[in-house]
Amino acid sequence: MTRNQIHSIFLSAFVVVSALIATRPAAAQDPNQLYPTMAPVEQYLMDRDAEIALARSAAPDAISHDASVIVLTRHGYETAVEGKNGWVCWVGRGWLAMFDNPEFWNPKVRAADCLNPPAARSILPYACKRTELLLAGHSKQEAIAAIKAAIDKKELPPLEPGTLSYMMSRSSYLTDNGGHNGPHIMFYEAANDGAAWGANLANSPLMSVNYWYISAQAYPQLKSFPPLSVFLIGVDKWSDGTPAPSM
Amino acid sequence: MRKKKVGAIGIKSFAMLAVLGTAYLGTANQVTAQDVTTPYPNVVPTKMAPIDQYLMTDQGAEIALARSAAPESISRDAEVLVLGRHGFETAVKGKNGFVCIVGRSWTSAADADFWDPNVRVPMCVNAAAARSYLLRITKIAELALAGRTLVQVNQAIAAAIAKKKLPPMESGAMCYMMGKQGFGGESAPHWPSHLMFFYSDTDPATWGANLPGSPVVAMSDPTEHLTQFVIPTQKWADGTEVR
Repeated sequence: MTRNQIHSIFLSAFVVVSALIATRPAAAQDPNQLYPTMAPVEQYLMDRDAEIALARSAAPDAISHDASVIVLTRHGYETAVEGKNGWVCWVGRGWLAMFDNPEFWNPKVRAADCLNPPAARSILPYACKRTELLLAGHSKQEAIAAIKAAIDKKELPPLEPGTLSYMMSRSSYLTDNGGHNGPHIMFYEAANDGAAWGANLANSPLMSVNYWYISAQAYPQLKSFPPLSVFLIGVDKWSDGTPAPSM
Repeated sequence: MRKKKVGAIGIKSFAMLAVLGTAYLGTANQVTAQDVTTPYPNVVPTKMAPIDQYLMTDQGAEIALARSAAPESISRDAEVLVLGRHGFETAVKGKNGFVCIVGRSWTSAADADFWDPNVRVPMCVNAAAARSYLLRITKIAELALAGRTLVQVNQAIAAAIAKKKLPPMESGAMCYMMGKQGFGGESAPHWPSHLMFFYSDTDPATWGANLPGSPVVAMSDPTEHLTQFVIPTQKWADGTEVR
């Protein structure tokens, strides 16, 4: 797979790794056709205990054992386990990728993620807000407008330095593409692209995508959002310590 | 990468990083290790060696070694500094904000190897690190070349930071250390391919570093108010697999 091909399937921060490890797309059909609208909400929900276990599997036990865990309900995420180390583990759904991600409504997506304390304070509120709006039946355009209004009113926090998350679960389903999964760490930086870290260049171990959009063509209002890029680096082991395929 | 350790965390982390290096160095890397030139006996001096031993006579070789720290797509447009008799000097002007250098023992080896003239550790820092972290590296080199001891260097750097003559770490400061070549000193001869991220006084736990199963290693230096996070990479700068 060429670098351009990899970038062509940069559909979300969640799918970057699977894009890297994919040898060929597993889904021949256009995801826009496969997932044009929200599926019945039941398809996005999980057994509560299974969701807690999956969420915790995003990071080594030494981290996730003492983390808070939030789970998805019909109306949004709610705390299932109160933690004591400041980390928050959860299972992201497809709509937490970029707004123009073709797998936005893919009900199979289960992205186990453990956010460090700065990310829990400054990234998670955006994800929870987006989830509540969409589960309440708001359109993407309405959700975008509501999030922008919340940013302008400072109801949503600015990005803190040192935000990162672990996505090292071997049980995640990130995308229909390739192997569906791969262990990695993600960083969040107030930047429009990855140049400052040398991401997306030949042989760089860092990949980056815009947090909000792929092209913003469909949702131009996203261009007025605060600059936010997600950086990703693959790691060689799953959270349980077993070796993972090289990316 | 400064390996000066003040606290137990730092010492432990240094050991962990050395273990990481061992784990990541497979057969191919043993060949690399054999290829490393060590022009002087591997007896670490306890005081400064003649300055010439710290210099590289072939500037082209030093530039190439410095650039080997990052993929060519990054390092080809980077500024390159080389070591002169009084400190680092610009040998190549860059245009992408990255700066590549070959670190010497004073900044890039364990304290026990402070005067080891064989140490050659290539690194490429990004623009944010060039404006913050790299200033410490170049300042330490100047002090060491002027004959200051480890203790004197530490005191001088701490004082410069306290007086704000050296800035805190800038947000987003990081560097590439993905070169196959180089020598990190007797304590940790060969580093794994990795990235580093620099922060001022950050609790390693914030990144989940140094915990069982975590891919992140952190080293804290309270004297410099510096926390360095290390994440191994799966490939060398040239794109070949680490394992």
